[in-house]
Amino acid sequence: MIRLKKFSYWYPATEQHALDRITLDIPEGQFLGIVGANGAGKSTLCYALSGFVPHFYNGELEGELSFDNTPMAELDLGKLAGQVGLVFQNPFNQISGARFTVREEIAFGLENLGVPRAEMRDRIEEAMELVNIQELAERSPFSVSGGQQQRIAIASILAMQPRVLVLDEPTSQLDPDGTRDVFAALSKLVSTRKITVIIAEHKLEWLATFCDRVIALANGRLRAEGSPQDVLSSEQMLRLGVGRTQYSEAAARLLRSKQLPVTLEQAKKALQ
Amino acid sequence: MPSMRGGTIYVEGRSGLHKLHPLTKLALSGLCFACAAALPGLPWLLGMFVLVLMPLAIWGRITRAFLKACLLVVGPFLLSLAIIQGFFHGGDTVLFQLGRFTYTLEGLMAGLLFAARLLVALGGTLLLMQSTDQAQLMQALTERGFPARIAYVVLTAIQIFPSFQDRAQVIMDAQQARGLELQTGALNRARLLLPMVGPLILGSVMDVSERAMALEARGFSSPAQKTSLHSLADSASQRTLRWLLVAAALGLLAWRVGSALA
Repeated sequence: MIRLKKFSYWYPATEQHALDRITLDIPEGQFLGIVGANGAGKSTLCYALSGFVPHFYNGELEGELSFDNTPMAELDLGKLAGQVGLVFQNPFNQISGARFTVREEIAFGLENLGVPRAEMRDRIEEAMELVNIQELAERSPFSVSGGQQQRIAIASILAMQPRVLVLDEPTSQLDPDGTRDVFAALSKLVSTRKITVIIAEHKLEWLATFCDRVIALANGRLRAEGSPQDVLSSEQMLRLGVGRTQYSEAAARLLRSKQLPVTLEQAKKALQ
Repeated sequence: MPSMRGGTIYVEGRSGLHKLHPLTKLALSGLCFACAAALPGLPWLLGMFVLVLMPLAIWGRITRAFLKACLLVVGPFLLSLAIIQGFFHGGDTVLFQLGRFTYTLEGLMAGLLFAARLLVALGGTLLLMQSTDQAQLMQALTERGFPARIAYVVLTAIQIFPSFQDRAQVIMDAQQARGLELQTGALNRARLLLPMVGPLILGSVMDVSERAMALEARGFSSPAQKTSLHSLADSASQRTLRWLLVAAALGLLAWRVGSALA
């Protein structure tokens, strides 16, 4: 569905590549996690996978980047919006500012795509239900918390029913319940509608639980790819600054202790 | 209890005035501007306000909000015009004297006339804005070919202003937390404006790129024919009324120009 072959990208007026010879095939219906330290190229890869590179950011490109076997550069960003959705890290900047209620805000993208009114209403209700924000429907999108705004932003894109959903650290402002809701909704979309979900995320536990496949980036290069088990349990993740899941960390500490703890005090000591 | 939305002066309601098509109310506000420019004297203008605008405000159940807005918008003009015109317009009927300056009845009446013109012109616009959801007004305009990008700019300007106020407050709190003393005299506060305005403007400029991307991700430049979540109720009688209002406005202006030339 989305293919990168030795794809490199440089932002305008920079000499350092943001992405360096990345080769990646993302099939339809895959739940793909992207991990990497800050500055590894996760956001740039998200922009490339959603067409903002090269359509929004100019810069210099090398290699191949295609969507459904058509070079991304030949596709129109306006038309691509109905096919590929992008959710950003900062929820405030994703609120259109042109609508007065959450329901109307979710409708904004559908109105732009020309979705008929009756279908629009159904899609809005469904999207709100998926991220559990039905009670916010008549509130102003500016009068809710950052976490709620992020859910609204996700619902706004989900309602557009894209074939590919790219999310750049979407849960950074969400509490654990909110994060679980979002991942569960994404997982449901993948299993029921065969939507392709690509998510850049630091919360490794959630990637390990939900993703089919994980890739790791460092300095714009693809350093590891495979199942969450293989990639996230690898020692290489520590060297790349990705870290480990808290479960791996706990297990590693237990394995280092000479004897398995049998009391709460011993367990606390072993895990410290 | 009526409530306002975001940074707008719209007062939510379900009155007949609220239910009128936004373009009908826009045509009415256009007529008000024409009346303000063309009606010859104070009685005509006050008659327009009392016999047309006030009943409409009562019908819309926004009387208090409407009068308050009129007072806030026109009040300062009324006061300054009454003072300036009273002293400098000239005339024979002296009401009182202040040193070398005389305050005349003719000047006072000229000031009142000017303020009444403002009251009628802006009164129509205030009625429109207080009884019409601005998103619906923009929807009505874009459905008739008004550029969607301009409609977007207008709506975001209305909505985002309160958010900027919140952001400015966050910056102020952050600066104060790091020792910037803001609770001092006016001069010192003016001097400290730069460290506050700088981050606000820079932060906003940096957000522009991401905002533009977010808009594109929502299909803003999609070539599809745009649709709307809400339908705007319209009728043949309202369409006729709109044409009559526009014709009346043009007729008034033509009469005014004609009588000025005669």
